[in-house]
Formats: sequence, C-alpha cells, structure tokens
Amino acid sequence: MKKFNLIIVLLLASTSFVFAQNAAETLMNKGQGLVLGGYGEVHVNLPEDGNGKVDVHRLVTLLGYNFNEKVQFVSEIEFEHVVEVYVEQAFLSYALKDNLSLRAGLMLIPMGIVNEFHEPTTFNGVERPGMDKSIIPTTWREIGFGLNGRVDDASLKYQLYLFNGFKSSGLGGSNGIRSGRAKGAEAMWNTTNISAKVDWYGIQGLKLGLAGYFGDTNVDVNTDVPGVGISMIGLDARYVKDRFGMRGQFVTTSIDGSEEYNLAWDSDLGSKMNGWYLEASYNLFSLDKEEKLDFFARYSNYDTHAGVAGSLVANDAYNRNVLTTGLSWHVAPGAAFKMDYQILGNEASDENTSVINFGIGVWF
Amino acid sequence: MRIIFLFFVSVLFLSVSEKDRNKKKVAKQIKSVFEIEKFELSTIIVDDIIKEKIWDEFNYSKFKKIIHNDTLIGYSYESKAPSMHYEFDYLIILGLDLKIIDSKILVYRENWGGEIGSKRWLKQFTGKGKEDRLKYMKDISAISGATISVKSMIETVNVFLESVNKLNQNSVL
Repeated sequence: MKKFNLIIVLLLASTSFVFAQNAAETLMNKGQGLVLGGYGEVHVNLPEDGNGKVDVHRLVTLLGYNFNEKVQFVSEIEFEHVVEVYVEQAFLSYALKDNLSLRAGLMLIPMGIVNEFHEPTTFNGVERPGMDKSIIPTTWREIGFGLNGRVDDASLKYQLYLFNGFKSSGLGGSNGIRSGRAKGAEAMWNTTNISAKVDWYGIQGLKLGLAGYFGDTNVDVNTDVPGVGISMIGLDARYVKDRFGMRGQFVTTSIDGSEEYNLAWDSDLGSKMNGWYLEASYNLFSLDKEEKLDFFARYSNYDTHAGVAGSLVANDAYNRNVLTTGLSWHVAPGAAFKMDYQILGNEASDENTSVINFGIGVWF
Repeated sequence: MRIIFLFFVSVLFLSVSEKDRNKKKVAKQIKSVFEIEKFELSTIIVDDIIKEKIWDEFNYSKFKKIIHNDTLIGYSYESKAPSMHYEFDYLIILGLDLKIIDSKILVYRENWGGEIGSKRWLKQFTGKGKEDRLKYMKDISAISGATISVKSMIETVNVFLESVNKLNQNSVL
C-alpha cells in the first residue's frame, strides 16, 4: 500500500514538470544565437525482492550557440541522481560544406541506437536497455574530432572520428569496460582510437546502422601496468510503419590482452563481450491522435564473459537475459509517462527476479 | 601526430565559399528537373487582399514563375521550416498542374535530423497537389532519429499546398 501511495504522489508531482518546459521555449530564437533545451527522467523502481527506489535519474540542459550559418557550439550538462554533475557533450561544429561538418570536442561515440539517441522519449522502457550499460557503456562520450556528413542521393549518413581512448583502470566485472570511460575529465591521452558509423535509410521507414570502434586503452607512460586493445562492432536496425515499430541491436567486442591485464590489475575482464536485443511496439491509439500509447516488448541477452582468456573462468552471472514489457504514453511530442515490467535472469541461477518500473521523460 | 596534422590540412581544402549558395542550388535543381540549360525566374504579384487569406509566413519574395524560352513551365518556392532548435531551408518545384514535381532540402543546420534531405524520402511529396493534406506515417513515412524534422517538413508542405490552393482559387495561379 505504501508503495502504491508513493506512486500516486509521484505521478501527481510529475505533471508540474511538463508545464515547466514551455518557459524554456520562450528563450529560444530559432536559427540565431542562444539555443536552450534539455531532457529529464524521474524513475521509480520496485523490485520483487529488495528496496524500492525513486530517483531523479537525469536532468540535462542543452546549451548551445549558433555563431553564424556554419558554426555552432553544442553542449549538454547533466545532473545525475540529483548530486552528480557531468558534461555529456561540448563540441564545436563547423559546416565545411553542405552535408559535411567538422566537429571537435566532447562528443558521443556513434555506436548502437541509444548512445546517440538517449533522450527518454526516444526509447521504450523506463531505464535504458541493459546492454546499453554493460556492453555499450552509455552515455559514452570522449574528447575527439572528426567528420559528420550525409549523402542525400544515397540516403546515407556517415561519421568518422578520432577519440581519446578508455582509461585502463577499473575494467572488468559485469559492466566490462564501462568504468574505463574518461568522459573528458582531465583524461590522459596517450592513445588515439578510431570510431566510425554509417546509417542507411534508403527504404521508407527503415534505418540500418553499422558502427566500429577500435583502439587501445590509455596507459600511464610512467608505469608498467598494461592496458588492452578494444575492437567493437555494432549493428542496429529500426523500422516504423503506421502504428507498428521494431528495433534491434547486436554488438560484439573483442578485448586483446585481457589475460595480462587481469594478472596485473587483479581483475576479471573478459576477452569477448556480446549483447543483443529485439523489440516490437504497437501504438494503441489512432494515428490521427497527437498522443501515442506504445505497447512494447523487448528481449535482451548480454554477456561480458562471452569469451575469457587464460585461467579466468567465465562467470555465468554475467550472462544475462531480460524480458521487458510495458507502455509508453506520449502525452505530447517530447513528454511521456512510462511503465514496464521486467523479468531478469542469468545463466548462474535457475531463478529469475522481477521489477516494476515507472517513470516520466521529457525532451525539449 | 602525423595523422592528426594531415587530417587538419586536408580539411582546410574541403572548406568552400558559401556566397549565394542557395541561388546556385536552386538553379541547378530547376535545370535538372526540367532538363533545360537556361531559364528565368519571374515575380508573382499577389494583392494584399488575397495575402490576408493566405498563410502568414508564406514567402512571397521567393515564390517565382519559371520561364523557359518565354514560356511558363512551372513554379519555384523557397522558404524555411523549423527543426528541433534551428531552421532548415527547402525548395519546392511545382508543375503547371500545381502538383509538386520536386523538393529539396537546401540547407540543414541542426546536428541531427538531416536525413530528411534523402532524395528517396522527399520523393514521397512528388505528385501531391493543392487538394492534398499529408499525414505523418500514413502518407509520408517516418525516419528514425529525425521525427521532429520529418513532421516539420510535412506540416510546412501542407500549409504550402493550402496556400497554393487559395492562390489558385483567387486566380493568381
């Protein structure tokens, strides 16, 4: 009963958040000068066993400036869990010519769907998909530079960047390379990594993506402690037709040198990490309505010990599967109430656990 | 280090002059669509009384007759529409039957959503005329990652076609 009352209070409280976005719109003058926007998520997680949790998971301000027709600055400043502050993006974009821009600064790595498109109204489910935490370490951003372009005749978009690599410390466990994100915070730059992605949208409603990320982790030149080499390949697909939607993602990562790394760092980093998910959704409302009510179901499997090197024994608990089903009620473009039910399992246990999640998401 | 230096030098060569870029693009598109080498753009005069019946933001200064060998062959319209935080420039070319025969995104400024420039996606507007009102997902497909710009382009084409309808009803076209 207590948890139910809490849900009702939170749902009522969340309505005030929706009205607040209108004030931000008055500060914007499209195409000129200052640009202001943002996104936010408030979550309620109620596991079958254990404590429920409520959290302002993210509140992000987009602060940008349009210097002229060719030059833009884009930044995102994030508050996570109320007390943590991060910079998610901070880059300068210069249009070299139509459909080709040079970008430099703190940028998102183009891999998968959610790392680039992580605003809460762009995906189903209260939390981001689990593999987008453990395999693709979303929100994955590093300092780098490169090119971003489109070929309109071929319905193709491409990105090619050189980035600062991961840190070598803290890699391993159930979240793989996630702790190695430098996030542009006084990070060491001794190795340059390559990131590339191509998106193709030549069939109406379909978008396919192919991405690669390659390079070594940064190693302190004053020490003997080793890093690893990372090769990540990602394939993603999204399809929307009338009220029906589908999306899927597959990512595989090979880690070179994990045996030496684990010996030096006393860790359990795998030599291979795989993850995939498949999702289908259906809008229960008519297309004539501005509101949408998406019913969805997603199955995901991801494993940070898909391969292990040397004497390391694969930890079956890292081989996880998640079934998520729920509703996303888009009450306006950029504002949604969300709820879902998840069944979580892993290969180390015959028993699954479950959790009910509620949340709101806004993006403006 | 050498790679980074070479990268920046090669990038400098890619930067080109932007003067009158839309004018050149429009000219190139018209020549391509009608398969002609020369043409002129002629102003369309619209009475203030008629303007009051039409969409406030209709860009009359960029709505032109396309004349080839002293003959009217179509109409050209350029304007801007909003993306998430910026605006994009677009071109619509009408035939004499007041149906869209071509459309193009001239300049897209936003960092995301530029997929609406896809020739294949824009082909969906071809053949639509003054009586048509297009619906997202039903008549024009979505593009994942470009929802806001897709909807904006659909809305802007709809108000444009409605304006063309009113201009036709008032014997301007």
